[in-house]
Amino acid sequence: MSLKKYLTLTRAGIMESLQFRLATAVMVIGNLLYLIIVYYLWKAIYASAGTDVVNGMTFTDTLIYLVLATALFNFMEMYTVWEMGRNIQTGKIVLDLLKPMEYQRYLFWSFSGTFITQFFFTFLPTFLVVAFVTQGTIPLGLNLLYFMISVVMAIVINYSMDFLVGTICLYTESIWGINIMKQVVVLLLSGATIPIAFFPEPLKTVMFYLPFQSIYHAPLTILLSRASDSQQLLTTLGTQLFWCVVMMLLSKLFWKLSLRQITVNGG
Amino acid sequence: MSAMIEMKNVTKEFKVLNRREGLKGSLKDLFSRDYKIVRAVDDISMHIEQGEMVGYLGPNGAGKSTTIKMMTGVLEPTSGEILVGGNVPYQNRTKNAQEIGVVFGQRSQLWWALPLIESFRILKDIYQIPNEKYENMLALYRSLVDIDPLLHKPIRQMSLGQRTLSDILAAFLHDPKIVFLDEPTIGLDVSMKSKIRTLIHALNQEKKTTVILTTHDMGDVDALCQRIVIIDKGKMLYDNDMAHLKSFFGSYRTLKIRTDGAMKQQAQTIQQEFSAFSVTADEERISILVDEDQSKVIDVLAQIQKTYAIRDMQLEEISTENVIQKIYEEGVQ
Repeated sequence: MSLKKYLTLTRAGIMESLQFRLATAVMVIGNLLYLIIVYYLWKAIYASAGTDVVNGMTFTDTLIYLVLATALFNFMEMYTVWEMGRNIQTGKIVLDLLKPMEYQRYLFWSFSGTFITQFFFTFLPTFLVVAFVTQGTIPLGLNLLYFMISVVMAIVINYSMDFLVGTICLYTESIWGINIMKQVVVLLLSGATIPIAFFPEPLKTVMFYLPFQSIYHAPLTILLSRASDSQQLLTTLGTQLFWCVVMMLLSKLFWKLSLRQITVNGG
Repeated sequence: MSAMIEMKNVTKEFKVLNRREGLKGSLKDLFSRDYKIVRAVDDISMHIEQGEMVGYLGPNGAGKSTTIKMMTGVLEPTSGEILVGGNVPYQNRTKNAQEIGVVFGQRSQLWWALPLIESFRILKDIYQIPNEKYENMLALYRSLVDIDPLLHKPIRQMSLGQRTLSDILAAFLHDPKIVFLDEPTIGLDVSMKSKIRTLIHALNQEKKTTVILTTHDMGDVDALCQRIVIIDKGKMLYDNDMAHLKSFFGSYRTLKIRTDGAMKQQAQTIQQEFSAFSVTADEERISILVDEDQSKVIDVLAQIQKTYAIRDMQLEEISTENVIQKIYEEGVQ
């Protein structure tokens, strides 16, 4: 019953995102171009390395990883920070705050519809194409189920992180710089642009202790790992769960404090 | 009758950074701790009953929006007490939200890409409106305005007037106890203004909803409110019924005319003719402040036309600014 008030936002989100057909088409083309660049770049890297396996990954492995990372990015990136920044700048946030629902939830559920459309329109087709073209390289079994669980947690972590950064806009009232910085940091440290295997050892250790790798690296590793090492699977999911809870609490706390600050001092 | 809104000695202060001039000043500002306190709302008390329609007036920057934001719970008062429908709004913002509806003139709370009916459905679920109540409300809306052509139109394709109308309907949808309307008729043409006024009036009558109307259009207040509250520079200037204010002001209108020849000299002779009214003139036009209780504007115009060739004329209603100026000069209450 109370779930209905959230699901109605999901429904609205799906309908809204379906209104913009052209935008979706343009995005698909943009991705295609990006993937072509990725293909040639890594081809060159592998050619100059002179071996077939670099850092334990073959050219095909790397490519599959990066293509899926891009697909995952397109489906998870909700531009939350932009949206919050814009709402804060235009003052529309006042209207959202006056909905009988917590803002953080309201915004999440408003985005949830887009998650679903993006999943079916960008991630799933990409995945099917990759799976088909590379026949058999991606294991199709229980790992798909674990992958879904992992993605849901990744979405929550990513959203909480975005929300945290978006909250900063309450103070700065400008979004551009902060958002660009966040995007670069997340994409690099999460293993979305370069597989974590390629980073030097010390940096890898640091990255392991940061929440970013739980967003892209974790679900992709689960999806692509052939060996069903349950120990490792549990560690990965456990770490994700940990960051999920921590980031949720952190973003909630920061938002509460900031909002109090704003209601006291005015925006 | 119970108090819907109770404000006691509410004050709101903002901390504002003292900005310095020039590039050097801007650099210094980065590290500045030099704040000044701005008092946006200063010791305001108000008591509003259920079903009342109150016009909340004031020039730009008078503190109207700040007051509304405190009533809705978006801002917390620096001192003083506010109770809205028995809740302290800033402490229970989410709960308070269930009881209030809001329309901010230029912004829409509706789903921009979707048809109006979808926005209504979403609001129905968010506010958890029971089916029957929702259907009754739609039936009421149908009886008041012709909404069917609007229902299936996406918000982004609507005209400003249609959008405002839709926003007002959306704000009343969950049958809130209080609706805040912030400049609802801003930027609308005359016929749309009157349509919206009729709608607000009917909803207030039908649902006994308390309505707080912020505006600087005296026409809105005149058409809708029995009671008006005027604030300026954060301070309450006037809080009484409309009739009282009217009896104090009479019914003044400003007649502006442009004539051939030297207008300043003409103004002097006109002044002698109509000694009861104040006549002023500049390079552009002659302004005559006519009290319609004494003589009709049309008679004044006819009288002047006998002697002078009028090229252009304009009639102005008395504005909020005029009212406030007059209150300052002469005092009411």
